Amino acid sequence: MARRYWNINLEEMLEAGVHFGHGTRKWNPRMAPYISAKRKGIHITNLTRTARFLSEACDLLFDAASKRKQFLIVGTKNKAADSVARAAIRARCHYVNKKWLGGMLTNWPTTETRLHKFRDLRTEQNTGGLNRLPKRDAAMLKRQLSRLQTYLGGIKYMTRLPDIVIIVDQQEEYTALRECITLGIPTICLIDTNCDPDLADISIPANDDAIASIRLILNKLVVAICEGRSSYIRNP
Amino acid sequence: MAATTAAAAALSSLSFLSPNPPISFLFPKSTKPFFLSGSFRSLSLSLAPPRAKASDIDTAFFDDLDPEEEVVFDPPTPPEGFTPPPAFDDGPDETEDEIAAAYEELYGPAYSGVSVLGNDVFVMDSKVKKTSAFGKVKKEKVRDGFEERVVQVRRVTKVVKGGKQLHFRAVVVVGDKQGQVGVGVGKAKEVIGAVQKSAVNARRNIVTIPMTKYLTFPHRSEGDYGAATVMLRPAAPGTGVIAGGAVRIVLEMAGVENALGKQLGSKNALNNARATVVAVQKMKQFREVAQERGIPMEELWK
Repeated sequence: MARRYWNINLEEMLEAGVHFGHGTRKWNPRMAPYISAKRKGIHITNLTRTARFLSEACDLLFDAASKRKQFLIVGTKNKAADSVARAAIRARCHYVNKKWLGGMLTNWPTTETRLHKFRDLRTEQNTGGLNRLPKRDAAMLKRQLSRLQTYLGGIKYMTRLPDIVIIVDQQEEYTALRECITLGIPTICLIDTNCDPDLADISIPANDDAIASIRLILNKLVVAICEGRSSYIRNP
Repeated sequence: MAATTAAAAALSSLSFLSPNPPISFLFPKSTKPFFLSGSFRSLSLSLAPPRAKASDIDTAFFDDLDPEEEVVFDPPTPPEGFTPPPAFDDGPDETEDEIAAAYEELYGPAYSGVSVLGNDVFVMDSKVKKTSAFGKVKKEKVRDGFEERVVQVRRVTKVVKGGKQLHFRAVVVVGDKQGQVGVGVGKAKEVIGAVQKSAVNARRNIVTIPMTKYLTFPHRSEGDYGAATVMLRPAAPGTGVIAGGAVRIVLEMAGVENALGKQLGSKNALNNARATVVAVQKMKQFREVAQERGIPMEELWK
């Protein structure tokens, strides 16, 4: 796996506040190797480790994208939802930014059924079939459609299980992480000082509270994916 | 932004992982039929979970990461004329059509309901198993080389306000006779349904048994699960499997020809089957131990 230059510099990360952790009382002792200091009741993560892990993760994403793998980005926090959606659309990946429905991956056949229903409703709407129904039925179907759009809108292009899953906050998305572990899907996770670094395959110690820090890390990962895809297009 | 909609190559990239074809089961011969219902229902068969294979993603750096060691961050030098690419928020806003076209190029129209590049919108319909048109379809092929044997079928009751609700709980051991076994449980309102569910469950937790060339274990071992303890001991060729009930069935389905086994704790069939699996997982081949410890195999036999 060749190491490439990903424009990761520590000053940028300091500005975005990637090094802030959660309060001292809420820490997970397994994060001890990744914590460098304690300041004003908050743990400070070691940025050299973060930078190194981030660059290795980007290399991995580059390789995977050039081998045509499928990615899924999961981030359901209110603050991060918008940036997750935009990042995924930019990188042409699937994403989940509203609630992660339990069993989305482990119960994939059922999720597929819902996706079929979603597609059928969309085709109905496009061909104007909804206007021919009585008002009550049409309203019910529209409600179903909007519900499916919020929860499944990001995965509507997913035909099979993803190959790599990127999770934004481990505490929030614990169910998603558990599903990936049972299925054996490699995961990249943003770890904060109250998370367990051994659960995910690749953990990047960073701040998951600040929007700027999430945006920065997502940006780097998205750039890596785009580069990988374009390298595939250049030489398949 | 690097994802260009360049030469629209028709990508048939959907062939990496194909979900397993639907499983169907032969009606197994049940050793102790407790209660067979007269009517057969056609049951909805469940797919095995499609497992993702990560064999060609190289996570070498993260697999043997020692958290205590000092990590140095020395990025390679930036190539000349390197401009940082725009952030995903700042770039030019793309219209929905462009986005849809880009996604469709990569993944096909999938479940989006619209097709910008002119592909067939209903391409995913072929993946749906047609829940069959007429009558009951019973697919009777035995698949993937695993044989099933029912260990125990019990009638269990849940008491509700209206009376008693009866279910059947089946414990099934699945194995090829070459060293792979799995134990599964399943409950349903009818025996056959329960047996099928438990077979699906068993196929999900399959374990490999280390065996010698005389079809016996490498060494003694004990395993426990719940209150059941099982002791397993290798035997000379010609002995056969000398064990009771659940333990015997598990060993037979694994293909072990010569072994001794004893249920030491509780006599519960399910827990004993699971305890044998635990005991067998604890065993190691002599070759592996010699390699791990770095000593020749002769030392282990002393």
